Parts: sequence; C-alpha cells; structure tokens
Amino acid sequence: MPLTIDTTRFGPLEIAGEAVIEFPAGLIGLGGSRYALLANDENAAIVWLQSIDDPSLALPVANPWQFFADYEVKLSDSEAERIGITDPAAADVYVTVRATQAIEDCTANLRAPIVVSAGRGWQVINESEHAPMRAALFAGISEPVTAETAA
Amino acid sequence: MLIITRRPNERIMLGDDITIHVMEIVGNSARIGIDAPKSLPVYREEIWAAVKEENQASARAEADSMPRPASDAGARV
Repeated sequence: MPLTIDTTRFGPLEIAGEAVIEFPAGLIGLGGSRYALLANDENAAIVWLQSIDDPSLALPVANPWQFFADYEVKLSDSEAERIGITDPAAADVYVTVRATQAIEDCTANLRAPIVVSAGRGWQVINESEHAPMRAALFAGISEPVTAETAA
Repeated sequence: MLIITRRPNERIMLGDDITIHVMEIVGNSARIGIDAPKSLPVYREEIWAAVKEENQASARAEADSMPRPASDAGARV
C-alpha cells in the first residue's frame, strides 16, 4: 500500500510500500526508522535517502563504486553479526554526500556507509584503513565533470 | 551523571542485558569489555560524534544542490 508524504524538498511524493526501507537503529545521530531511496532513474549516481517519518529529513547518497572504484567495506565481526550481513558487497551500499556550493568540493563519507538488504538498512562503521569521513567525491574522476571545466 | 568507581575486573550492569566490564587499567588507558544485545550498536564516542556531524551536514543539502528525484520516484527497492 503506497504512502504519500509531503516532503519539504520535493513536495508530495508517493512511496510504494515495497520501497520503504526499515532502519532498525536509524541513521547515526539522526534517528528515523523508515526511509526510501528517491532516484531520477535506476542508474543515477546520486540519489536521495528520504525519511518517511520526518518529511524535512533527506540526505543525498551515492553509490560509492561509481566514484571510488577500489572502495572496500570491512565490517568488524560484531557489526556483521548485528546486521546479519557478512559480505557488504552482496548488499546495496550507499555513502552520504556532503554537498557544498562548489560541486568539486563535495565529499562522501566512506567511513560510515549505509548497507541496504531485503528492505532493511543499517549505517555501519567501515574498518577499512582507506575510508575517510570526507573523501572528495570527484577526485577520482579524471574526466571533467561540468561543461565549464571542459571548456 | 551517575559516577561509579570500579576496580579492574569489576563490572557495571545497565539493566539486565548490558554489562560493562572494566578489564584492565594500564597507565592512562582502560580496557573495557561490553556485553550487549547484538542489535545494539556500540561506537567509540569520537567516531559516533563525527558520523553524526557528517550526517547532519549531509541532511542540510538543498534540493537544488543535487539531482532532484523524478515525481514518480520512490519505486526503487
């Protein structure tokens, strides 16, 4: 059964019941228990994780491998046990994006990825040594990202 | 704040399910063992605070700073 929420950013949106993701522990420091991913299309590089409980709460999140090809998520045994997933690569993984005025300064939090599997989601701590809290989102892309820089 | 003095190898119970075990004190560090239900996330405070700050900063993004979802979005599972 679809839910209709009147989001602060995007106006009224209809969320299909099967698109709702339950976060048993919410997002770290933000709480919320139900979110949905909003995308322009299936292949969008950046999508929005919209809270269903709080219409004003939404975070841009990215598929990390579209920006960081060698990104790796390592979970501690206790974290893997908590979420019931030992191989995060088998689940959907997203990283939160910190937007800035200049698009080239946008960063992604590789330290605390969001793992989504079978309609449930968890924000976890990545034990990998190469997982900064603020990784330049466009640093790994050699191609120009905007028409201006291409010119 | 509740303040309790504990010696090495003594424990504190938080309710019936959570045990905080002061395992060892060496110099100015304490080794703490935590036995809690596996559904309860446990973080070092500085990591928790930094991730909270990043989440809050991410959530301040304006709709026009990132691609907007299509009006019929939300169907993605």
